[in-house]
Amino acid sequence: MPNIKLQSSDNEVFPVDIEIAKCSVTIKTMLEDLGVDDEEEEVVPLPNVNSAILKKVIQWATYHKDDPPLPEDDENKEKRTDDISSWDADFLKVDQGTLFELILAANYLDIKGLLDVTCKTVANMIKGKSPEEIRKTFNIKNDFTAAEEDQVRKENEWCEEK
Amino acid sequence: MPFISKDWRSPGEEWVKTQEGWEKKKVLECTAQRYPAITNFNNTDDNQQKSWPQEGEDGDKTNDSVARVPPHCHITIKCTREIAGFNGLSEAVRRLDFSSAVRDVRRFNYICALLELLLGGQRLTHLPGAAQKLLLSMLEQLADQVATSKQNLNALRALVVALSALREAERRACWGRPLGSRALWGHHDTAIARINHIANSIRIQEPGPEVVPKLHDLPEECIREILLRISDHRDLDSASSAWNVMASVCSEQRIWRELVTFHFTRQQLEGVLGKEKDCDSKDIDWKKTFHQLRKLYGLREDAQYAETLSLCRHCKCLFWRSLGHPCIADQCPEYRERLKEAGGPLPPHPVPPAAFLKFFSL
Repeated sequence: MPNIKLQSSDNEVFPVDIEIAKCSVTIKTMLEDLGVDDEEEEVVPLPNVNSAILKKVIQWATYHKDDPPLPEDDENKEKRTDDISSWDADFLKVDQGTLFELILAANYLDIKGLLDVTCKTVANMIKGKSPEEIRKTFNIKNDFTAAEEDQVRKENEWCEEK
Repeated sequence: MPFISKDWRSPGEEWVKTQEGWEKKKVLECTAQRYPAITNFNNTDDNQQKSWPQEGEDGDKTNDSVARVPPHCHITIKCTREIAGFNGLSEAVRRLDFSSAVRDVRRFNYICALLELLLGGQRLTHLPGAAQKLLLSMLEQLADQVATSKQNLNALRALVVALSALREAERRACWGRPLGSRALWGHHDTAIARINHIANSIRIQEPGPEVVPKLHDLPEECIREILLRISDHRDLDSASSAWNVMASVCSEQRIWRELVTFHFTRQQLEGVLGKEKDCDSKDIDWKKTFHQLRKLYGLREDAQYAETLSLCRHCKCLFWRSLGHPCIADQCPEYRERLKEAGGPLPPHPVPPAAFLKFFSL
């Protein structure tokens, strides 16, 4: 299998199977556009991803290399947040910083499956919590003024009326 | 020919004492098969630590000398009064490995719904004492799981409220004291106190300043991706009151439009909008439409569970869909032949929580 070399932001180089690297749409289109030959060993710089995260992304992509592609249809996608396989659940038992870095990397590299499962994990952290608890979970500073907060509450109130 | 011992019972009918109460030996043995390392039935602590291996852990399956059987439970479907005793809830709960299901994110919601049904309407008190104890210990494990993961807080809160309501209603059920064994209720009271304690002492830890990036470092498109995966409008509301970026994303029509298409069919949508309006037109207030539809039709129930119990139509066996079960259609070639003549095997039948309880006349 031909390899491709991915270079992280801190200049570490990872040799990766080309088929695995192609799960990233960004890398795939780049290879297609540039018409890189399989023969020569190209180094692809990825300035937005550090080596720790890149290692995790490659680990994920290697495990999921034989997965069927996700449906393209954006509108009717499943909204089930608990549908996470046990491997992915274990893989994502990381601190919040790593989780968000994985989201950023998946977004930048355009890896649908990884973005899906990481976003589900964050959505699960939001589910079933009060606004105050959500703020606490993510350390969000309350940037609403009292008047704005009232406004949001009023907007949402009528939904609960039967 | 089945083996029948002198007192007309097979040895599997013997009762064994466990931490959660008495249980028949045959039931414990089938659970023990799944955890070959455990020989001592009383040692349930280790039992809870291990979870059933799923896809991805195939490697260690082959190393085990004992072939592992996925959790399954044969069941009598037409539950008439004469044979009602054949289906025992505590037996099913053990055989279907509910205790590890509590720790599985895919099966968590199903178990929650089941417990909520049992707590509501005082069904729990109609159960045998052993089953009551088992269910309460399951609830305790669930509380424990929520406390460690800090997820599904509202599910636990609803269960705790239902549990206290049940306790209150039972307190004076019979001449000023609960109906049934006093020792059993004493046991329940300590369990309920422990569950309340776990639920009340959940504190959310804020991530420290050293944890970077934070949620507010993510670009708006990522926040949108996250919010698009939420299926409950109440979560969207609390998300939008938590943070102004989420509020602005939640005010976008796209979020609500996708929520509508997820929960409702096109016919339902057309019914609400009226014939004259086109469903694809731009001037629909999707949030308003969603709430109209929700009040009219209610949300999809099947959407709430990633994994449900299924009933095999051939061997009348309950099992978890993703784990499978040993089926007569796979094992017996004769049966398979007949199936083929009849037009192939039938797909398993999904069993929502309410239907599951019906098997036990609950």
